[in-house]
This record gives sequence, structure tokens and C-alpha cells, in this order.
Amino acid sequence: MTSRRDFLRILAAGAAGAMFPARRLGALTPPKAAPATFGVARGTDTAAIVRKAVELVGGMGSFVEEGDVVFVKPNISWDKKPEQAATTNPVVVETVVKLILEAGAKKIIVADNTCNDARRTYKRSGIKEAAEGAGAKVPFMEQRRFVSTNLGGTVMSDWEVYREVMEADKIINIPIAKHHGLSDVTLSMKNLMGLIGGRRDLLHQNLPECVVDLAAYFKPTLNILDSVRLLKANGPQGSTLKDVVELNTIAASTDPVRIDAFGISLFGDAIFSNDPAAFPHIQEAIKRGLGRSDFSGEGYMEVNLG
Amino acid sequence: MKNLRRISQILFLALFFFLLIQTEYKGSSELGLPVKFFLDLSPLIALSTILATHAVKAASLFSLITVVVSIFFGRVFCGWVCPLGTLNTIVGWFRMRKGKPTPTDGRFPRLRPVKYFILVFILAAAVFGWNTAGILDPISLTIRSLAIGYNPAVNRIVRVILDSAYALDMPGISPAADAVYSMMVGTVLAFEQPVFRQMIPIALIFSVILGLNLLAPRFWCRYLCPLGAMLGIIGTKQMMARVDVSSEKCVKCGCCNRTCQGDATPFPPGQWASRECLVCYNCRDVCPVTAISIHPTMQRTGEGNVDLERRWLLSTGAAAILSVPIVTLGEHRERVHPELIRPPGALPETDFVKTCVKCGECMKVCLTNGLQPTFHQAGLEGLWTPILVPKLGYCEYHCNLCGQVCPTGAIQLLKIEKKQKTKIGLATFDKSRCIPYAYNRNCGVCEEHCPAQGKAIRFTDEESVDKRGRAFILKKPYVIPQICIGCGICENKCPVVDIPAIRVSPINESRHDARLFL
Repeated sequence: MTSRRDFLRILAAGAAGAMFPARRLGALTPPKAAPATFGVARGTDTAAIVRKAVELVGGMGSFVEEGDVVFVKPNISWDKKPEQAATTNPVVVETVVKLILEAGAKKIIVADNTCNDARRTYKRSGIKEAAEGAGAKVPFMEQRRFVSTNLGGTVMSDWEVYREVMEADKIINIPIAKHHGLSDVTLSMKNLMGLIGGRRDLLHQNLPECVVDLAAYFKPTLNILDSVRLLKANGPQGSTLKDVVELNTIAASTDPVRIDAFGISLFGDAIFSNDPAAFPHIQEAIKRGLGRSDFSGEGYMEVNLG
Repeated sequence: MKNLRRISQILFLALFFFLLIQTEYKGSSELGLPVKFFLDLSPLIALSTILATHAVKAASLFSLITVVVSIFFGRVFCGWVCPLGTLNTIVGWFRMRKGKPTPTDGRFPRLRPVKYFILVFILAAAVFGWNTAGILDPISLTIRSLAIGYNPAVNRIVRVILDSAYALDMPGISPAADAVYSMMVGTVLAFEQPVFRQMIPIALIFSVILGLNLLAPRFWCRYLCPLGAMLGIIGTKQMMARVDVSSEKCVKCGCCNRTCQGDATPFPPGQWASRECLVCYNCRDVCPVTAISIHPTMQRTGEGNVDLERRWLLSTGAAAILSVPIVTLGEHRERVHPELIRPPGALPETDFVKTCVKCGECMKVCLTNGLQPTFHQAGLEGLWTPILVPKLGYCEYHCNLCGQVCPTGAIQLLKIEKKQKTKIGLATFDKSRCIPYAYNRNCGVCEEHCPAQGKAIRFTDEESVDKRGRAFILKKPYVIPQICIGCGICENKCPVVDIPAIRVSPINESRHDARLFL
């Protein structure tokens, strides 16, 4: 669809845009404690394994402070039901929102820049209802709320970022692990594409560099990987339920590389390799010092709740 | 009575606007409201569709209500119900306030027959398969003009104002603009700014129709409206609301003619034209000596109805009939136009064009703004019928709203499962523009977005070398025609935005066996 109000974008960029970068409050501040931990919880009670995984890495209280404004980024991109595993599991979103509230956050915003019509995806994914029920605000991303920002990446420089992301104190990233036709997998780093606007369709030509640019800029306070269901083929939106397997697994870490490396290990032979080093975006992220790919190393904890 | 009539007009106009605004996705796959209610009330749409398609649809029967009411009360629909009539009344007030009108001011009695000739043209052409009713039917005209012409313009203006205020980023102003915006979106404003081809001409035509009220009150209703003509003829011998002017009491002041909305000439006595009367009660309410009464009577009290000369009626009918073979001759009938992607559920083309009344409801409700009015793509006979323009909006996989709102069944309401298997076209790669083929770089946006079950776009992997000499896997997309339904999301999302590197055309659409080539 034609973008709204080109005229206004110029206005906003000219008159107000210059003011916004300076207003960035806290998304870049590193987490209070940066424990070298990696938590994995398995079990059929989704809410319980979300709580357990977060608890393993120190509990939500070590990431969110009293009075914080927190931006939660699930994947709400596609007009698909939760069973189709194209969007983050609504129970996961709901539980994360509750945990953040329990940690004393002032305000929680849950949103995504969607591929299908947001009115449909927010509803069909079950995320709007679940997150609002748990006490979050779930707005649609409106064009006027994007502000031009310098991401300072290797390929991404000036780009539109959703204003609420810029003004939030913390970003909690809750991707769902999925197959992806172009990059083989889409995990925590690629999920951040939903925070930006503009010509996202151009990013696919340099996808590894772009997602690492996003990870380096936004530095989510915590990544919680949903693999309650895993989309192992025809991603990122899937085709039939045959593409979905149940893994009942949640992983949590501050390290996006470690999370993505763990995600890669979940796919088995559904993808060409389970070696993180074989994935260009992992190589790129390690090169830039964003984290480490031996997810099962130091600080790895796994609990099976059954 | 005049005030009662005004209340009725305002209530029906409010209902009309409410239903028009509700003709949008509101968070539920089922629209749930009878948004085509006013279209169903029009016997002109019903009759012309019956004549053109030689079939009676259940929805057509609803308009019998209007017919029955008109038989007994005359053009009470025009005076009390019709939304365009009410809009005309409102604009007419601006004229009334200018100076003092004379008894003959704002009257063009010689134009009164025009609407009957328009009606004859519409019905005669419909019999031979050219359905023009929707172009001039006041309900269809109003919905189309407001949905495609005025609505985008109003949305644009309100958004520009509110967004400018928001972008000021000033305390007080920005939050206020934000609050107003949030309140208006989804209630009176559309969810996204609508964009329509031909917005300006369609809005201008309607503006001219409204502007004509400055020449004569309710100019359209008096002289041009084919539905008004039809209801006038139906109600010629109405007995329930006849205007009776007492010759003894009349002081020949002419007040009644001055305030008459329909140019029905209550004065002089005995010249009242039942077919022109809109039952507005202005004459009775204005008469200083209460010489006028409006009441049920079996007695016919004089006729001032215009004579329709038979030779002109026959000429008009003949012209209409002769025009049918002409408008059905053209390129569009020889070969399908590459842009003629009809919405899923559309009847085969010739039936579709006969059945569609160009009301624009499907375009208004379309989730992605992809349904647009045709200009030349379907010939003159198909002017303003809907086509999908994938560059502006694609057909949403889980949506069948257009079928839900179509008043005539030109777009059949398909169950979602069936809709998802209905081919409306076929995607084709332009390998000279497609990024992996033409520029040796990966892209894959089309494949990512393809919703078809089993994926109509897939990759072949090819080992390639980039400009720095590094080996990489080039993913070349291709289309599987048996799976592609032509929804157009690939064309819509293609990064090559000017002439997309993957484009949908109507070949292979399933409503025509002859076009299924793969």
C-alpha cells in the first residue's frame, strides 16, 4: 500500500526528526547484571517453562527495574494461528508480560511491524488478546510514529525506528524459532526487523549484515526464544501443519548469538547444518563481538519440568 | 409534518453514513452488518440486474418494499429516505438563503422529462445486457462517490492536520493530536489512508451533482434521477398522500411552488404533478391560508404530470438498444486486459459486467485497498467495476469481505477454504528485473510472503560467486502455476517497486476454463 503522508515525513524529518535521537532514553543501557548464563526450560506447561527459563538466568528482576517502560517484541508478522508456529506463542507473550509487571515495570508495550495486515495478525496470532489481558498496551505501529534514526551499522545507517522503542528503557525480545526460505533460520536477531519501518524489503539482499546491525544497535536486555512449536519448513510463515513440530522448549539469554546458536541446534536435519559457524549472520555477529556461539558452555543450565 | 420529514431524512442519512463507515474490516472476519442495506432498497438496481442477467436473485426482492410504499405514497422514498436526496436538500439550503426567490425561480419545467428518458435508456440497455443502472442510481452513485472520491480526501485532510500537530512534538499539542487521532481511527477515519484511482474525477462528478442544487433545489432529484423517475411512475396513481389545493381558498401567492422540492407545481390548482411530488409537505406547511391539504383520497384531483412524447421515448429506447452492440465491441472483448484481475468469487466476465452495479462497496471494504475502479480495462460497459491492483494492495489470504458486501452477487461469497483455492490470476517473474536473476544477489521477499498452501513460489539453489569472489548460494525463485492463486502479495512486496519483477495477470484464472492454460 502506498505509504501515508510523504509530505509529513519530510515535515517530521525536518522539524522534529533532529530532536529525536537525543531523546533516546535507555534502550542502549546494558542490563544491570550481565550474567554469563544461558537458561533452557523444557516441559508441556508453557507458562511454567517461560518462568523457569527466565528464573535460570537470574529472574526478570535482574533485567527490569522498578518504574521501567519496557518494549516487548514478539513476532506478530503473519496472519496465522498459534498452531501454525509463524508467530510467537501467545502464552509465552502473556507470561513474559506478567513477569515484567511483577518486576515492577511502569508500562509495557507489545508491538510488531507486521507483514500481513496488522489488524488481522494481532488478532489471529492471539497475541493482542493475551498481552492486553496480562496488562500490556498493544498498539498498531502507525507510520507517523516512526522516527529517522542513525543505526550506525555497517550497511544500515539512517533508518526509521518506531518511536516507542526509542523511548523505552528496556527491550525484551521474544522471537519464535522458525525456518526461513532465504536465511535458513530466523531467530532472535532477525526478529528485531519488526522494530523498524522504511524499505525493509531491501534488507534481504544483505540479510546477515542487516540483522547483525540491528542486534548491535538495539541490544535487547533479554532474549527469550519461543520453541514451544518449531516451524521447520516453508518459513517464515509456513504452509501446512506438517511443517510444525512441538518442542516445548524455551531458552533465555542476554546473548543474542548464543540464543541463535541454540536455535540452530533445534532444527536437526531440517536445515543444511546445525553448526552455528556455518551461518553467515552468526559469523558476522561473532566478528563484531556481540556474543559467543558455544551456547552449551559456561553458565548453561537446563531444566526439564516434564 | 415538514419537521417529521426532516427527522426521517436525518435519521436515514445518519444510518447511511454509519453503514458506509462500517464497510471496513473491524477486527472480525465476518462484517456482521447489512452494509448494503440501501442498495437493496433500490428497485432500479434490482430491476436492471434482473433484466440484464435474466435471473431473479433473492436480494432483489427486498426492494419490493420500496415499490409497495411508492404505489401507495408516491415518491416518499425520495423525500424521506434517500441519502442523496437529503444531501441535495442540505446543499439546497445554501441557495435558499441567497436573496428572495420568485415563484418561477429555480424551476426548469422543460428539464423534468430528462430523468424519464434516462430511466428508459437504462432499462432498454439492460434488457440487451448492458447494465448502466449503477452509474446513475442515486444509492450506488452516492456510495461510490463517497467511498472512492470523498472518503480518501477527508481522511487525507484530517490526517495531514493531526499528523502535523503530532510532529510538532510540543507538550499539550502532540498528545492532544494523538488522542484525537486514536479516537477517530476506526470510528470515522479509515485504519489506513485510502488511495483510489480516479478519486478526483469521481469526487468531481458528485460535487457537480451537489452543486446543481444552487441552480434549482434538488436539481438531481427533479430532473436527472432515474430512480426518482421510476418511483414517480410507480406512484403516479398513489392515493395516500395526494396534494389537494382548494381553488376557493387559494390566494394565488405562489408560495407553494416556491418551496416545492420536486417542481411538482401544486399551483395553479389542478396542475399538481404526482410523479414529481416528493411528499415533502412544504406546500401544505407554507400555505398562508391553509388551502392545501395532503391526504388519502380515491378522487383524482387534477393532473399536471409532464407528457412524455412517444417519439422521444421510442428514440431513447432505440438509442439504448443500438448502443449495446457498440459498447460490447472493443479490445476488451477480444482479449483479456492484463490488468483485469477480478476479485475472488467474481462471475465469468460477461456475467460479471452485467451484474456489477459499480457501487464501490467491495473497494471500500477491501482490507488492503487493492480493489480499484476500472477505467478502460473492461471497456465502457465495465467502467468503475473492481479490479485488483497488486501494486496498491494484494488479496488477503484469509479474507472474503468483498463477497460479503456485494449487493448483486457479481462477487459470490466464497467460503474461505474455497476462496483460498480460487485462482484470480498468475504470478510471472520478469527475470530481467528480478534481483537474483538480474543482479546475482539474494532477495526472496516474494517467497517469504507467498501464502498459498504448499508455496507457489519456491527456490532453486545455485552456486554462485559474488563481486568480491566469494562463493555463495544464489536462491532463484520460480512460480508453481498449479498452486499460485494470483493473490498478488508477491507483486505488492517486491522490492523492485516501479515495475515489480514479479507481476500478476489474469491468465489462468479459474472462473474461465478457457483461460486456464497451466
